[in-house]
Amino acid sequence: MENIYDVVVIGAGNGGLSAAATAAKNGLKTLLVEQHNLPGGFATSFRRGRFEFEPSLHELCDLGPEENPGDIRKLLERLDVKIEWVPVPEAYRVITTNEGEDNLDVTMPFGVDAFVDKMEEYVPGSRPSMEKFMTLCQNIMDALAYIGKSAGKADSKVLMKEHPNFLKCGGYSVNQVLKAIKMPKKAQRILSAYWCYFGVDGEMLNFAIYGAMVYKYLTRGAYIPKNRSHELSAAMDRRIRELGGDIWYNTRAEKIIMENQKVTGVITDHGVIKCSHVIACCSPNAVFGEMMEKDDVPEKQTRMVNARKFGGRGFVVYLGLNKSAEEIGLTDYSYFIYESLDTVKEVARAKDFNSHPIQATVCLNAANPECSPEGTCIMSFTTFYSEDVWGNIGADEYVEKKREVALNMIRDFEKNVGVSLIPYIEEIEIATPVTMARYTLNPQGTMYAYECSGWDTMLARLMMLEDDQIVSGIRFAGGYGPRIYGYSSTYLNGEMTAKLTIADRRENAK
Amino acid sequence: MKKFNFHVKPIGLLDMLNFKKLVPNRTQALAEGSPERATASYEVNKLATYLHPKSQQAEITEIIEHGEIAKTFILSGKELAPFRAGQYLSVKLEIGKSILTRPFSISSSPKWVKEGKYALTIKRAPNGFASDWILENWKVGTKVSVSGPEGVFYYEPLRDSKNVVCIAGGSGITPFLSMAYAIRDGIEDFNMTILYGSCTENEILYKKELDQITENCDKVKVIHVLSKEQSSCYEFGFITSEIIEKYAEGEYSVFMCGPSVMYDFVGKELEKLSLKSKFIRREMLAAPSSPKKFKEYKGKIDKEFKLTVKRFGEVLIVPMKAEETVLIALERAGIAVPSKCRGGECGFCRSRLESGEIFTPDELDARRIADIKEGYIHPCCTYPLSDLVIEVWPEQGEQYEEKH
Repeated sequence: MENIYDVVVIGAGNGGLSAAATAAKNGLKTLLVEQHNLPGGFATSFRRGRFEFEPSLHELCDLGPEENPGDIRKLLERLDVKIEWVPVPEAYRVITTNEGEDNLDVTMPFGVDAFVDKMEEYVPGSRPSMEKFMTLCQNIMDALAYIGKSAGKADSKVLMKEHPNFLKCGGYSVNQVLKAIKMPKKAQRILSAYWCYFGVDGEMLNFAIYGAMVYKYLTRGAYIPKNRSHELSAAMDRRIRELGGDIWYNTRAEKIIMENQKVTGVITDHGVIKCSHVIACCSPNAVFGEMMEKDDVPEKQTRMVNARKFGGRGFVVYLGLNKSAEEIGLTDYSYFIYESLDTVKEVARAKDFNSHPIQATVCLNAANPECSPEGTCIMSFTTFYSEDVWGNIGADEYVEKKREVALNMIRDFEKNVGVSLIPYIEEIEIATPVTMARYTLNPQGTMYAYECSGWDTMLARLMMLEDDQIVSGIRFAGGYGPRIYGYSSTYLNGEMTAKLTIADRRENAK
Repeated sequence: MKKFNFHVKPIGLLDMLNFKKLVPNRTQALAEGSPERATASYEVNKLATYLHPKSQQAEITEIIEHGEIAKTFILSGKELAPFRAGQYLSVKLEIGKSILTRPFSISSSPKWVKEGKYALTIKRAPNGFASDWILENWKVGTKVSVSGPEGVFYYEPLRDSKNVVCIAGGSGITPFLSMAYAIRDGIEDFNMTILYGSCTENEILYKKELDQITENCDKVKVIHVLSKEQSSCYEFGFITSEIIEKYAEGEYSVFMCGPSVMYDFVGKELEKLSLKSKFIRREMLAAPSSPKKFKEYKGKIDKEFKLTVKRFGEVLIVPMKAEETVLIALERAGIAVPSKCRGGECGFCRSRLESGEIFTPDELDARRIADIKEGYIHPCCTYPLSDLVIEVWPEQGEQYEEKH
């Protein structure tokens, strides 16, 4: 039997799902292949006992309420994907543990005004700089909307005329800009708390990207799917099939066939698929290092792959507790616990095998009280490693090592939040970079694809969208795509990549 | 919002230049990467594949007979994946035209993996289609394909009490034997009290091995409970709450592994002890061969239905009985679909139900909430109530090519 498709999407992660849905919606005969037996990649769920855990999502940025929809709600509306959403109650609680008298324990609300007011309460005199920050963020949002629309062909004259503030701050780091707008040190620290969502310190993290994310959270709030992120992945899966696309699970793309520097098909472990375009929601390392014949990969492309640095490798502890959040004393949803808010120091700690790592911890029930049976609650404790430290752990010590880190993270939380958790553990699961590698096949188990820092920031990637396109017929969705990693970015990457592929096809037809 | 003109001091007017440098800087950095062929396979990826292989090839190198009732097969292979005592292997079998799997707990010490060995103990069972076949057909030299180690029935110190009462029935002793070895070998550290129910003394599996472990290791105790034979050496009757309380010390966890009649009986006994649910863990059971056992079942047991199977673009139609699971219908037809636990839990057989009515017993339904909403099923614990149309995705290497 011969399988002929217009486009084969490799990988059903967020980017692959939105790419496949967009391609199918635009009339392309689309096949999505996924090596695992589930859609979503990191956006999934798993069951243990009477709990269903959320593996990765803390909060979805840029969904927004119906009356103030963000880019993700608009994207889901375009694709006609509907699920139940639950709002996250507050922006974050951030606690620092190793700054002596300067230790922080503050809870910040959503809403620009509420956030600025709260900051003024914690840091008197911070208001003028906070207002400047918010104005800059608005400028950035406008400029990014323009750059996004121009699909790699932004006109520098328009940018200079319409978006001067963006151009001025777009080349600087978070720390440089916050200092330049004379934000008090303590306010800078509190405002930097979201840094771990990028896994990049304030000296290396581009201000425009960070500002845009903070601003989206504050203006539109954050949401989670009612039934874990698998609900969204499963809804996307259904929509792809409704739109005429096919999905093959347990199917691994092994080779991409090239003839005269053009894609002609994909060899999977379930047969050959003829196609002229591939959208890869997997690492360029796999595509150019394994799926394509060595001779088909231009040296420039290989250099590009090897030049890049992998982003954070995730480590998560999941607990199903046999007491309710109220009984335990968990009042907040999202807790960032750092030794300090010197982000450079914190990232340096993440380079080593640190058994007391930073943590971004969530009590799911604080946002979604019905997520587990009455009298129970679900927590997850996430950290990341900025280097491949789990690559040095042998099989013999693996179980012990992961338990050691997990135990320390739980104890650190208990100590700093003043609650007791260990006696109430009914279910525990620990996911390491090895686990992430097992299920997603990401190199080194990275959850943040290629690090978005220094020279490889999102702005530069977006402006070089077409320069990056060396091998025609293959584009990247997902976290390796131009709009970088994270849930909202990957969904948008997927849609953008599908649209660019549709444009490529038109171009080829001429 | 107020407008203001942004400046980074002291760079001042050069601000925009920094922005303009983004593209040239990145272009240069990308060109400086190594020209060596890229890879996606690092140590972490290799460790993931080693710990969680999709399948493993082994050969039977030794068979130990336990009277008429059971045999222990020693499986040897290269680079076998390590496991946690209590985990199982899913064995792939081809019996006649059927392609099927069976889960068996590993009964050997986790230490043995270093020598390239797993032990599986298989007991003759009434109507035991696969176990009888294995006992007849597996010989020294037989090549066997097994999954990686699976399941979550193991001791976890962050969750379980340090004292564990292990309740075993029949061949349900196998995961506990592995745990006892693991304690003896210093791999696990907890106090284990095994209450092992057998019909008669002759039917006790691994009596000698268990005696040897308890002689050399204070942390493991074994109490045999015989239901059909009275003797001063053993407890008599079933495993009741009184027996559990008699031997349990302090706060304890209960682990259970045995036939479903034992689960039903001991389950009621445990209710009397009012243990918190975190302290009770059951090894999962394969779904029963008939749905009649479930009170909520409303189907007609003697019906036959048509099962339409979509598989990678092709369509197959096979017969299906109301009294059997969808998985068994697929296996009878030689359609190999992924399956491991066969009791609803692992989700490995997850398939899409396109149309038709099904029955999934509540106690075996471990589907994700969204999967239930979106019409996914775990065929291993799904019984048909009408003709069905489903989509399956067999894994590569499941004899799929030959039949294709």
